[in-house]
Amino acid sequence: MLRTLIQEVKASMGIYESDADQVYGLLAEFPNPGVLLDAAEATRKEGYRHFDAHSPFPIHGMDDAMGLGNAVGVGVSTFFGGLTGFATACLLQWWTGAVDYPLNISGKPFFAVEPSVPIMFELTVLFAGFGAVAGMLALNGLPRPYNPLFYSDRFEGVTDDRFFLHVAASDEQFDAEETAKMLRNLGAVHIELVQDDGLADS
Amino acid sequence: MANTEDDKTLPAEPSRPQEGAGGGHGQLVRGDLSFHDITEMVSRHTEKKAPLAWYIAFAASLSGALLLLALLAYVVWNGIGVWGNNQPVGWGWPIVNFVFWVGIGHAGTLISAILFLFRQHWRTAINRAAEAMTLFAVVCALIWPTFHVGRVWVIYWTLPIPNQMEMWPQFKSPLLWDVFAVSSYFIVSLVFWYVGLVPDLATLRDRAENFWRKRILGFFSLGWTGANRHWRNYEKAYLLLAGLATPLVLSVHSVVSFDFAVSVLPGWHTTIFPPYFVAGAIFSGFAMVVTLMVITREVYGLKNVITIDHLEKMNIIILVTGTIVGFAYITEFFMAWYSGVEYEQYAFINRAFGPYAWAYWIMMTCNLITPQLFWSKKLRRSIPVMFVLSIFVNIGMWFERFVITITSLHRDFLPSSWGYFEPTWVDIGTLVGSFGLFFTLFLLFLRFVPMVAMAEVKGIMPQADPHHYDGGDGRAAGNGHAEGDGEPYIRPAKVASLEQPDTDEGEA
Amino acid sequence: MVWEENHPKDQPAMKDNPYYQNQWGMSIDLNTCTGCNACVVACTSENNVQVVGKEEVSNGRHMYWIRNDRYYVTEGDEGAEDPEMLMQPVMCQHCENAPCESVCPVAATLHSPDGTNQMIYNRCIGTRYCANNCPYKVRRFNFFDWTKTLPTEVQMAQNPEVTVRTRGVMEKCSWCVQRIRQSQQQADNEDRDLRPNEVETACQQACPTDAITFGDLNNPESDVVEEKQNPRRYELMAYLNTKPRLSYLGRVRNTNPRIEEALSSEQDADAVAAADA
Repeated sequence: MLRTLIQEVKASMGIYESDADQVYGLLAEFPNPGVLLDAAEATRKEGYRHFDAHSPFPIHGMDDAMGLGNAVGVGVSTFFGGLTGFATACLLQWWTGAVDYPLNISGKPFFAVEPSVPIMFELTVLFAGFGAVAGMLALNGLPRPYNPLFYSDRFEGVTDDRFFLHVAASDEQFDAEETAKMLRNLGAVHIELVQDDGLADS
Repeated sequence: MANTEDDKTLPAEPSRPQEGAGGGHGQLVRGDLSFHDITEMVSRHTEKKAPLAWYIAFAASLSGALLLLALLAYVVWNGIGVWGNNQPVGWGWPIVNFVFWVGIGHAGTLISAILFLFRQHWRTAINRAAEAMTLFAVVCALIWPTFHVGRVWVIYWTLPIPNQMEMWPQFKSPLLWDVFAVSSYFIVSLVFWYVGLVPDLATLRDRAENFWRKRILGFFSLGWTGANRHWRNYEKAYLLLAGLATPLVLSVHSVVSFDFAVSVLPGWHTTIFPPYFVAGAIFSGFAMVVTLMVITREVYGLKNVITIDHLEKMNIIILVTGTIVGFAYITEFFMAWYSGVEYEQYAFINRAFGPYAWAYWIMMTCNLITPQLFWSKKLRRSIPVMFVLSIFVNIGMWFERFVITITSLHRDFLPSSWGYFEPTWVDIGTLVGSFGLFFTLFLLFLRFVPMVAMAEVKGIMPQADPHHYDGGDGRAAGNGHAEGDGEPYIRPAKVASLEQPDTDEGEA
Repeated sequence: MVWEENHPKDQPAMKDNPYYQNQWGMSIDLNTCTGCNACVVACTSENNVQVVGKEEVSNGRHMYWIRNDRYYVTEGDEGAEDPEMLMQPVMCQHCENAPCESVCPVAATLHSPDGTNQMIYNRCIGTRYCANNCPYKVRRFNFFDWTKTLPTEVQMAQNPEVTVRTRGVMEKCSWCVQRIRQSQQQADNEDRDLRPNEVETACQQACPTDAITFGDLNNPESDVVEEKQNPRRYELMAYLNTKPRLSYLGRVRNTNPRIEEALSSEQDADAVAAADA
């Protein structure tokens, strides 16, 4: 149960487990973003869930095509980051000024809201920024130094001008033959089976 | 010209319709470039040997940076007295330089964050370089308040770290707000820049031949694979960071202006300072971006990516912010007269007609008068004119900070304590050196980091829009196999070209 | 008044301090001040104020904690050749709402429970913001290490009761806090309260015309309390709401008309004599 849950969480980050034969998945190359978008949508409608589109830039409409919806998680972590920053600033300024070591500075109150606003604001923004980046990295499972997809030479072009659809072997419907056939039908110009060496990245 | 590669680029898809595609994005990238051309144009500058001009510029900048280092050591060894600071001018050139450099930094964040929020796609060509400029300008800025304190070795007392005196910083001080504002700004800008860099570093990683280059880039690109699950969170985080950086950048120069506005000095104690400083910061920052971009696009042959339209848009912003700043100068005079406060009135008369009148009129000329030339479309599209004017603006904005800091301090309340400030050779040397440091960092950036955000530029090209292919040749290639399935996963090309695409983005 | 609500001087953190019972104040009578500068000399030797030399004085790096401001006055355009000079000794005004304090990022200058504005050299990092924000311009910064080059004898001649300031810190008049504390210790040892006017600052002690009065504002028998009730009392630039603890007693310039007459007739006689010649 827990194991399945962890697997699903990792799958949502794009980290899939390879199957017993160390097959990580099928990597299909598509000629352009338009075909990739349609292929992703078709793959999802076929019932596949453990798959991902890889492209050199974000493709408009791909989230809907893959059925991912809005990325709420990053927003939540940003919000809580900001809240933490605000609370830190309030506590820091109030406690150091009014509780731990009260000093008579220019006859001003030991703690007042007005002079504390700039630092409250700055720390809110700073921690919210940390929250956004930390949330993004955590939800994406990054940094991820090892990825079996890197074994594919063609995949090096994914950050240049190539478009891939990766269907993971961990998907319930995955079948090397059937899935490859489907991908070919969807317009893949090149399909390869990616093997995991099984040594790293469980 | 150095940019011969403009001519030899090969169109990836010769049959691509030139206009009407991609909802008006077609003009942003000039020439008939493919995704790979973009990768090639940008990446190879980090891979091949740098041009000779780079080495010459780097040698000059580095010697400036070393001069700065040596002079700062000299200051720390001997004391602040080697600078021209005195009583009553407690803050001299170091603070002038600080405000100047922080202001320069603001344009980078503005271009990267505010224009992003406003969906100004033209920003993608310049945002990487502008953000880098922000970071380096803030580094140059942070040097000044750090080294201008009398005892730099205990500067960490301004941070809320428990120390041997069991004391805390004094949170009512605008200088402490500054510590928090500028360091938060630096950190958030750095994170924003790095997050934007990750996909491009992955591009460099995938192109790397050398073992160590691949490992190092692999480390910094975090294992990026361009997965859509990642893009999804990435784009959200980038949007949120842009949303956070926007109020942050406005707050930073406001807080810098509080250093002056919160004091009691005539000429400093004014509520107009925050908006006036922010406008001035954007003004000087855009001028610096124009200066740098004019040189960079010339030397690196990026004229198709950083087009004359981009530069014109920046010149319009320079014109607008310059006029706002000029309006603020005049408003200050009006308020001084209207307030009826003798000290305030004297401070402003002294600015315009006192011993530092020359600085005041340099400021007025460079900031208010010369940018008005940009009303002419011909002049704001002329590279030599904008280059000279952008340098004028930077001179003018440096003098603005000089006028605010030094003329206000040198004559305040009691005439017995009036004085005069004269810079020493160390003042001049450290200012020159800070430019050296700035350009050293910027040249290192040009050499080792993709200077244009490749992933973003690709994303706004017409062929990046999936619907671009609905009526084009791309669809036909992938369509042949789908017909037998009977599933409408892939709309036939002809139908799609007749129907309106079902998403909002399809409209031309 | 809104700025008087929650005033820190009324909070337990200040009130529970033993120093709180003495509230120091000063007044300077400009009528009696002759501008002799004895106060400047006394302060310099009492407080180890460094002499920086002609060149650095002209660079604006002088260190005097007290100075004598001079104002030249004439009636209209007459006598512009030979104006009257008015003197005003200016030192730290020990403002209750001191502008210098709130701008220090490290709380190196703050208010003591006994109502003086204190400068903590150990804590100072030398931003010089306090000096900029002081409307009286009484704060002095150590731009160099002034004591390093002093001969050993001079180094040993420094007042041991007063810290010799290092390079890079701010300093200013402390109202001879070392004398205040010494008298308090003396009183403590003798198990008694401080006597009125027991504490004398160096400038006060040196003043030949007793223009400077210093004492405890909480003790009604102090001379300074009486001085502060003088109708000539005013505070320098009071409109800034700094509330200085130092008050001036304004100079009265309504000279006896007969003296004026005598003076002017003397001048007329001189003029006549000059014309005759």
